[in-house]
Amino acid sequence: MKKLLLNSYLLFFFRIALGFLFIYAGAEKISDPAGFSLSISNYKLLPIYMINFFAISMPWIEIVAGILLVFGIAVKENAFILNTMLIVFIFAISISLARGLSIDCGCFGKGNQIGIQKLIENSLMFFAGVLLIMFDSKILALKNNHSE
Amino acid sequence: MFVLNFFNMSANYKNIIAIIIVSSTIGFIYNSLNPKGIPLIKEKRILIFEEEQSEITDSDLTDTPVTERNEIEEQIIAPSEGNIIKEEIPNAVREFTKPVAIRLSRAYQLYNQGVIFIDSRSKEEYADGHIKGAINIPFYESEKYEDVLNKIDKNEIIVTYCSGEDCDTSILHGDELFEKGYKRVYIFHGGWDDWLETGYPVESKL
Repeated sequence: MKKLLLNSYLLFFFRIALGFLFIYAGAEKISDPAGFSLSISNYKLLPIYMINFFAISMPWIEIVAGILLVFGIAVKENAFILNTMLIVFIFAISISLARGLSIDCGCFGKGNQIGIQKLIENSLMFFAGVLLIMFDSKILALKNNHSE
Repeated sequence: MFVLNFFNMSANYKNIIAIIIVSSTIGFIYNSLNPKGIPLIKEKRILIFEEEQSEITDSDLTDTPVTERNEIEEQIIAPSEGNIIKEEIPNAVREFTKPVAIRLSRAYQLYNQGVIFIDSRSKEEYADGHIKGAINIPFYESEKYEDVLNKIDKNEIIVTYCSGEDCDTSILHGDELFEKGYKRVYIFHGGWDDWLETGYPVESKL
């Protein structure tokens, strides 16, 4: 029982942390759309006509999903969305590292170079996300759409 | 959503799609209203090499008397927020509407003229070896090097470089410096690799 309690608080912590991290990341990107667009293009993974679509929509998905996570609304769904993004980020960073690119990550606005550290950060967030998808977190949730 | 089923999860994929669509829509609306918004289709950042800009020569730049140059600069920079007639601007800054890319030979020529070289690479890379006399301002922590940068006059000719042709920090740094008001920024495209290969003066310390 105690273990379960601890576990649910841990999940709550993950939920809040993941939520705020993505709110912050999204806000940083929204404050400098041109910079973020440039960051994406530096990865040289996307065709040029698609870059700005991602640059425009992605930060908002991050923010909305982050806010919903913090409020505990549709936790599994939002964790799933963020994890999908994290997979994309992890792949993008890995490929770029393998190609020997020395570029700005674009993770939290300017000032983060891609590297192993980013991979670890992203993997940790991904891990937290997986736990949330699997076990949900209902503490201090505003509303839950699909409680059993 | 077999991925979700695999984890025995009850997440509703309709909600997922709804969240994505709603947030993206907010994004597009916000972007269209935002004065700093970006075009839906990205324009390519094209490096303009000096030799491709036919009317611009180095003599245009360096032979202009300093006083005259300053006057021109002030005219351009100072009233930029006011209601100046826009047509005047292109004439005054007919060179350097963007940082200009250069290759090794030109970089060496500028080097011999005593132009300031800025090394955009990391502290460690700089310590391992850099173009002789170059100043290190790592692009990724350029905020910490404000005081180094402030010592450089805005009218100085600056050459930025990074590790080689594949790195982009010299370009980003060039753009950043340009936005900060340095109007004569060159981007040395070949960077450290080209320089080292040719055997031009290098040093390693600090």
